[in-house]
Amino acid sequence: MLRFIIRRLLITIPTILVVLTITWALVRLAPGNFYTSDKNIPPAIEKNIREKYGLDKPWYEQYRRTMWGIVRHFDFGTSLKYEGQSVNAIIARSLPVSATVGLLAYLLALAVGIVAGSMASLHPNSKRDYASMALAMLGISIPNFVLGPILVFIFSLTLYWLPPSRWNGFPSRNVILPVITLSGLYMAYIARLTRAGMLEVLRSDYIRTARAKGLSDSQVILRHALRGGLLPVVSYTGPALAFLVTGTVVVERIFVLPGLGNYFIQASLNRDEPLIIGIVAFIAITLLLMNLLVDIAYAFLDPRIRY
Amino acid sequence: MAKVYLKQLLAGIAIAALLSGGISCRVVATSGDFYGSTTPPQRNILRYVNGDEPESLDPPVSAGQPEARIYLALYQGLVEYDPKTLNPIPALAERWDVNNDSSEFVFHMRRNARWSNGDPISAQDFVYSIRRGLAPVLASKNAYLAYAIAYAEAYNQRAVFVRDKETKTFLLEKHVADNASASTAAVSQKPIVSFGSEYDAGSTEPVADPDQRPDPGSDTAFHQFMHSPPRLTLPGGEDARTKLLAKNPKLQAAVEGKEFVPVSAEDIGVEAVDDYTVRISLSQPAPYFSGLLAHQLFRLAPRKIIEQYGDHWTEPEHIVTCGAFKLKAWLPYNELVVERDPMYWDAANVHLDEIHFFVTTDNPTSMNLYKVGEADAVLNHTVPNVWLDVIRSKKDYMDGAEAAIVYITMNVTKAPMDDVRVRRAFNMAIDKVNYAKSRRITKPLSAFTPEGMFVGYPQPKGEGFDPEQARKLLGEAGFPVTKSDGDFECKAFPAGQVEFIFNSNSSNKAMAEFMQAQWKQNLGITVPLRSMEFKTYMNARSKLEYNGFAIGIWGADYMDPFTFLGLFTTAVGVNGTGWYDLKYVAMLDQANRTLDHQQRYDLLAKAEKYLLDAQPLIPIETSSVNWLKKPYVKGMYPNAADLYPWKYVYIEREPSKWDYGVPSLAD
Repeated sequence: MLRFIIRRLLITIPTILVVLTITWALVRLAPGNFYTSDKNIPPAIEKNIREKYGLDKPWYEQYRRTMWGIVRHFDFGTSLKYEGQSVNAIIARSLPVSATVGLLAYLLALAVGIVAGSMASLHPNSKRDYASMALAMLGISIPNFVLGPILVFIFSLTLYWLPPSRWNGFPSRNVILPVITLSGLYMAYIARLTRAGMLEVLRSDYIRTARAKGLSDSQVILRHALRGGLLPVVSYTGPALAFLVTGTVVVERIFVLPGLGNYFIQASLNRDEPLIIGIVAFIAITLLLMNLLVDIAYAFLDPRIRY
Repeated sequence: MAKVYLKQLLAGIAIAALLSGGISCRVVATSGDFYGSTTPPQRNILRYVNGDEPESLDPPVSAGQPEARIYLALYQGLVEYDPKTLNPIPALAERWDVNNDSSEFVFHMRRNARWSNGDPISAQDFVYSIRRGLAPVLASKNAYLAYAIAYAEAYNQRAVFVRDKETKTFLLEKHVADNASASTAAVSQKPIVSFGSEYDAGSTEPVADPDQRPDPGSDTAFHQFMHSPPRLTLPGGEDARTKLLAKNPKLQAAVEGKEFVPVSAEDIGVEAVDDYTVRISLSQPAPYFSGLLAHQLFRLAPRKIIEQYGDHWTEPEHIVTCGAFKLKAWLPYNELVVERDPMYWDAANVHLDEIHFFVTTDNPTSMNLYKVGEADAVLNHTVPNVWLDVIRSKKDYMDGAEAAIVYITMNVTKAPMDDVRVRRAFNMAIDKVNYAKSRRITKPLSAFTPEGMFVGYPQPKGEGFDPEQARKLLGEAGFPVTKSDGDFECKAFPAGQVEFIFNSNSSNKAMAEFMQAQWKQNLGITVPLRSMEFKTYMNARSKLEYNGFAIGIWGADYMDPFTFLGLFTTAVGVNGTGWYDLKYVAMLDQANRTLDHQQRYDLLAKAEKYLLDAQPLIPIETSSVNWLKKPYVKGMYPNAADLYPWKYVYIEREPSKWDYGVPSLAD
């Protein structure tokens, strides 16, 4: 197990360097620069800017400088667009926002999804099953850029109950709508995965054995069925958590949250190279770690899996 | 048993949701006259949707509008924008004097102005700020706005003077000029005949009140230097200089054996004559210059703090400002909060306790915040086009002319657009009146300055909608238009060679499609459209890497026609067309030397006509401001540049004194 984890962690390093190099090259290839704007600047001033940021140096020199900072000090440099703000500081302050919303949405999705899924699986083909699965289908089909505005329209613009957007710290009324919007899709997915997984497990031999031993319904479900039934959910929610926590671009845009996803979009539009590379690195690391965690969790949930 | 478990879980979730939110109904006053809530904020604050995240709080650094509005709260310049007309009004300077050809300005500063840390503000602070703003290492995008100041451009571009090694005298422009242009030099560059007389014009008889008399400050060695014939400057970079000298043997000979001295910050024509007098010498007449000084490039930055903290001086714990408000909190990508500064010289007349600048670039989101009463005003152009029919009838909709135009540039360096007849034909084939109608709030434009913006400016008219004439012109240019089955056809025109490029957004796309349809209908030519991501598009346009048409949008930097006409005084970049005519440049220069306001406008109009005749562009429309402010927000006017001097803004709680409609700009 330990050897497996160490081996996986070691593979992570070259993977991330390759990802960063590709990102670096793509930013270079995109036309325009961080300083291009509708007010075009005279060439002499452009020259001043290029000298200030070292863009007049040859590309390999710039590449070496960028990568060396990352490898040596884990330092992504300072944002080109936002004068004097370091990339690490921007990530450090936008991550909590994304993480708060993402985690809340994750917990909400897990709770509601698993409950709804298991309830549906206990009474297959009942009215309750059809109703919850129909809702889940709806949840999967409605993209969050539609769900968000609908919720805003009802709860903010018509009822004047909740603020339509903006971040106001946690806890505040501002988090309710984004969390619901964000969790909708995941909730629905988890409900369906749980139902499918549970249905399969409930038919298996060891459940029959458990029942035969005379265990109560709740003990059978909570101690035996859920453990096996949740395997597909775990493999799905691991990477899902990584995406949720590192910012979901659309929801952060709709609700104007100062999270990682919002910065990522803005940085790409601004051609803010250090910031783009920093965020990509962060997301890549989180994703790889989450996948590793999923693999480890598998070993705990399913006694048959061993590394 | 299992069901009990599940129920408990569900109840837990519900309770958690309630606790985290505290959902409660709010009493909100709404009325059909206004868009959404009209409940004023509980505290004496203004919550303003300001658009994009500010790039920096360092005034000369950022060029954007959201930053400009924040700087308006945090920093002061010698002058401030008038809240309605945007003309310069006294700020740090109580009054100012102008010399006989608008090439030298003397500003008399107030003595009671202080930084937010209590230090007094002096003339040296202004000199420091402008030298810093122009420093090549700061690389300010706005620096070009100060290029009218003597040697400012040379310093900003790291140019060098040429000095004789032994005599230590500098090589002058007139030594190498092809035609002696001494007679046309600005007054500020001619030797002083009798000190003070250069400020005589305009006051024919002595003014009784000594405070009203022009006061040029005292004569100094620096002033003498400014009034000596201009020194020659050459590019600072070795490569560029060698290239230039190789092309010009006369210059090469004159420079031979001499040393190159970098132009320094101290050479810029800005001088603190005493602690409270600033004298600015320009290299050319610029009557609009005092209006320019309200721009962020010229707002004061605190020397002591910058030298202490370097790049980190704008961080909330270090920053020192000089405006009516000071920084309270900065939550990036969320909001920036400023509060009333008790050190401000006119603090008694500042009404608001705080201003919250919200960051959001999404129009519907901004409108939602406004509707539910989370924001009191939104920035310009936030009302989506399709909402206009509903919103326009509301009494909190702000409508007014904007100092901004939309036009189409044509790349005149590539065939077939290099033929003026072709360009004219494409202009005449567009029904701009109809287009403006479809856009709902803009006005059709036939010139290159916004219509009706500058009082007394005799704006010329370009050619109007005339498809008949357009087809004739195309025919003359060798592209005959024929008619078959009631549709026009122009087989000879290489439509595949041209294209219409624009940056992707819905209004640009609608515009391009409209123009495409017009040209198809009236000329029988289908110009392909190409939508590009913004930066890609800007790159293609400024480097002339397109053939055919591109969208151009320009907003005024200051309230003078020259801010538009000046676009074509450089050959590259912002020009976007490749049209560069020395005669046009000379015409503008002549106009700017003219002291009489009306005469100058006449000359500028002549130059504009010349530009329109050459037709490197197709004027389309004058923009209109469209934004919303709650009726209880007073002292905010829909002025032409969307810039609000915040000290005049206040919250009115008495509904009878609210604004029911657009507040008048006239009185």
